[in-house]
Amino acid sequence: MSAADLSRIQGALAPWLTGSRLASDTRLDMETPAENLLAAVTAFRGLAWGYLSAITGLDGLGPAAGPSASEAAPGGAPAQGSASQHGTLGSIEVLYQFCQGPCLATLRVRVPRDRAEVPSISGAVPSAVLFERELSEMLGVHVTGLPGGKRQFLPDDWPPNVFPLRKDFLVESAAPVADSAPSVGSGEAPGTFIVPIGPQHPALKEPGHFEFAVDGEIITGASIRLGYVHRGIEKAAEDRSWVQGLYLVERICGICSHIHATAYALGVEALAGMTIPPRGQAIRTLLCELERIHSHLLWLGVAAHEAGFDTLFMFSWRDRETVMDLLEQLTGNRVNYAANLIGGVKYEIDAPAADAIRRGMDYLEGRARHYLKIVTTDESFLRRTRGVGTISREMSERFGTVGPTARASGVPTDLRAAAPYAAYGQFPVTPVVDQRCDQEARFVVRVRELSECFRVVREILDRLPPGDLSIPAPRKVAEGEAVSRVEAPRGELFYYLRSTGGVKPDRVKVRTPSLCNWAAVVNVVIGQKLADVPVILAGIDPCFSCNDRSLTLRRRGKTGAGGVETWSWEDLRTYGIRWYGGGRS
Amino acid sequence: MNVVLALVALLLFPGVLFLVTASLAYEYVDRKLVARFQNRVGPRWFQPLADFIKLLVKEEIVPDGVNRGLFNGLPLAALAGALTAGLYVPMAGLAPSWGFRGDLVATVYLLMMMTLCIGLAGANTQDRFSLVGAVRALTQLFSYEAPFLLALLGPAIAAGSWRIAEVNGWAREHPWMILTQPLGFIVALIGLMGKLELPPFDAPEAETEIVSGALTEYSGRGLAFFRLGRDIELLIGLTLISAFYLGGLGSPLQFLGKTLALLFVTAALQSLFARLRIDQTVGLWWRTGAVLALVQLLVLIALRMIGVSL
Amino acid sequence: MRKEGLMAATVHGLPAAFRRALEAVALWSRVNSPWLVHFNSGSCNGCDIEILATLAPRWDLERFGAKLWGSPRHADVLVCTGPVTRLARERLVRVYEQMPAPKFVVAVGSCGITGGAFHGCYNIVGDIGDVVPVDVYVPGCPPRPEAIIDGVIQLLTRLRPPKARRHAAKAAAPGGAA
Repeated sequence: MSAADLSRIQGALAPWLTGSRLASDTRLDMETPAENLLAAVTAFRGLAWGYLSAITGLDGLGPAAGPSASEAAPGGAPAQGSASQHGTLGSIEVLYQFCQGPCLATLRVRVPRDRAEVPSISGAVPSAVLFERELSEMLGVHVTGLPGGKRQFLPDDWPPNVFPLRKDFLVESAAPVADSAPSVGSGEAPGTFIVPIGPQHPALKEPGHFEFAVDGEIITGASIRLGYVHRGIEKAAEDRSWVQGLYLVERICGICSHIHATAYALGVEALAGMTIPPRGQAIRTLLCELERIHSHLLWLGVAAHEAGFDTLFMFSWRDRETVMDLLEQLTGNRVNYAANLIGGVKYEIDAPAADAIRRGMDYLEGRARHYLKIVTTDESFLRRTRGVGTISREMSERFGTVGPTARASGVPTDLRAAAPYAAYGQFPVTPVVDQRCDQEARFVVRVRELSECFRVVREILDRLPPGDLSIPAPRKVAEGEAVSRVEAPRGELFYYLRSTGGVKPDRVKVRTPSLCNWAAVVNVVIGQKLADVPVILAGIDPCFSCNDRSLTLRRRGKTGAGGVETWSWEDLRTYGIRWYGGGRS
Repeated sequence: MNVVLALVALLLFPGVLFLVTASLAYEYVDRKLVARFQNRVGPRWFQPLADFIKLLVKEEIVPDGVNRGLFNGLPLAALAGALTAGLYVPMAGLAPSWGFRGDLVATVYLLMMMTLCIGLAGANTQDRFSLVGAVRALTQLFSYEAPFLLALLGPAIAAGSWRIAEVNGWAREHPWMILTQPLGFIVALIGLMGKLELPPFDAPEAETEIVSGALTEYSGRGLAFFRLGRDIELLIGLTLISAFYLGGLGSPLQFLGKTLALLFVTAALQSLFARLRIDQTVGLWWRTGAVLALVQLLVLIALRMIGVSL
Repeated sequence: MRKEGLMAATVHGLPAAFRRALEAVALWSRVNSPWLVHFNSGSCNGCDIEILATLAPRWDLERFGAKLWGSPRHADVLVCTGPVTRLARERLVRVYEQMPAPKFVVAVGSCGITGGAFHGCYNIVGDIGDVVPVDVYVPGCPPRPEAIIDGVIQLLTRLRPPKARRHAAKAAAPGGAA
């Protein structure tokens, strides 16, 4: 692992690189011109190392000073206003971030702003499709050869050639375009019957829009349109101070708010070179685990509800209140705890609080055992989960699933163990893996993870380090870039932060776990029964608000043809099927 | 029968007034029980009534592209079917107001009207969820109806009559048929749940898949009538099963005790299971339900042939 | 194509006292049977999980006759969360229009009131009040389940005539809803 591996990569890719550098034992930076990108990525995949974690686009860099102008030297004040529309100034850099364990290998491609174009790497890395679509919509980097030309993230009436994440983007320029005929009804070929799900649909507590072509009860095609909850948080973060950003990212998702804030804080702290007191880190970790408990119980209920098992929904939500009470007792809030500071945490855990938590864990432990029994033995429930929505390990790796979805397919990926952050170094976690790959496995993994959470919480309480909770944070953060990866309840959460030394971030890139899991789901749903769709969708615990920080999804079309305004999931699917070597269709 | 008595039977007892009141009360008991099983408080006693009146006074939206006559007429037909069926059963433990030889079969057909109307109502709109719901409702109808009928025939054959009143009378003088024909009882009870699309057989209106199934487009009065019709069917179904299998109904007290006990069982079944997929429902009925009911019938017929009376 | 309710159609031509009584019954049923439909127009989920929590055993909204339905056609109250994004706007309007009259809107959460933390973001049209008429705002980020329930109860209280309202206000505990 680590340094040796990274040098091996450096060597293997050398023919295509124009510069490379081992920034540390776990960081490798490589530069390649756009024309070599595909070859380099293909060679990279040949090494069978790691997975594509994110594709980040940066704007506002200095002029491309030749291919070897290596380390991110931010090009002074970013060009603002219409002057730079002509694109003579500056360049855009696209970062392909591959990860394995704690290691991060970045392929950097710098392209001129006025001719921003990179080849699609989705041929070599199928999971890149959504990342590339996001890149092209948000930053205006044309990705040649990207399957499916329809919009996924931005609204239909968004003007062409306006890209919100460009530095010279003005809100006024995004005024709705009048002649943007929404592509209603375009998706129904003769002879197919389309069932729309979303954006307002009981199976989705959040808006997302899916369309399933059905033959009787069997799904023959699937497409998805994201973007209903796209709020533009990445852009908004660039206009807020480092501290304000903390509260903004907390509101990316109300279910996993603490983990977003943690990832962001860890990133900023790394940039600023701060060392957080161990007690602060331990309490931060404890809250992460409590949040995971609440999130998994919530998921258990929602997934059971999707399978029409309302009693289990009611019971798990009743028990979830136990952990909600604890979170409220600790932080004063049930959701959006605002517990993180840049430099530590706000809230202390005293002896009575610790006792209350222990009691809560004891109670929930018993309940978790009960739920494990239900999800593995209840006949009627197993009929809906066993053998349903199987994502094989190979498929899971190809499509880059993360978190419990991947672990239920036998992929032992858990950043808490593989790349311990915060206090996970002192309080190690064992990944819960299941080989069965189906819906039942996803239930089992999440419920068994609860037990792991209880153990970690108790351990932290028993060995809570003494000392301060936090240290003061600087107003300005040193120039540089940082990648922060944490294990959210739904899987790997990726933050890329870039500072130009000011009071505001230059770029905050968030790649949420749900985005990684879509591709696998859309492939797996074909050939399944309509009745199983909600269960399978719920199986990955999709979080649209995470997903759609810059996307939006929508709800069901009620009358007739309904809105068929689809980012072609179909394209991705055919693509995936082709890649997957035939398969069902 | 003179006209006054006939009018009383139609409008007051066991006709419209009594059936509506009692079925709303039974809906309340059902919802309350399910809520208690789910660890909730549950609705207040007047909840079904408030829901019903509210739906009546709400705007009725008739979507584009439907046949207006059908859209408005189907809920009425469904309700009328259920109300008529109420006249042939020993409601409240008293003798049925009407009866003729073979009224059992007529009652079963009347009860079936509800599902047919729901299916047609779903197929009448252009909404996709309604269409899928309609297809599922009719598929389900096709699967449980035969076993349900077979299960009701068991007691009829034992009693040697296809007249509900006579079967009821026979059941009161003989051991409870739940003991002598347990298979039939199970099939009948679960068949009733399938008929009423109660969980876990609620695939035709599975909220998380197809919103409200065939009724998705109904808003005011239509929805109220369909819901009321279903409540009445629940009441009639419980009455029939307790008359046939639980030793007959001889008095209002017996009626209350036996039907409520049955309601308790169905409420528990509702909260115990995850929803069955429509293919699983059909499979369950044809592979298990129909076979069980047939076995029951064959045993009965064989016993009668060798002269054993149950 | 819309049609007046059965009651409204038959009410004309009846004696005034009888009509008043009918209207009182209609109002009573409306107050006691608020069916909800939930729409997320761009929220972070925080409010949405709290809305779901009101259905769960600890709060159990069914006590007040409230039920969450999937179809806007069945609903009386649209419970809406979040700032309104450009893509969700049209759907929000559509869901609102699909609801049969009389219909009400409860906007849950700070984002629904002002856009909250997302105020001024490029993909935000505005708050919920900019898109559909809102009857009750429930502030908070997110509001507690109690506050959401209180918001719905406030809405129902306002439907009643003033005298009955005073009576009900005494019975209900005061809450945080505006």
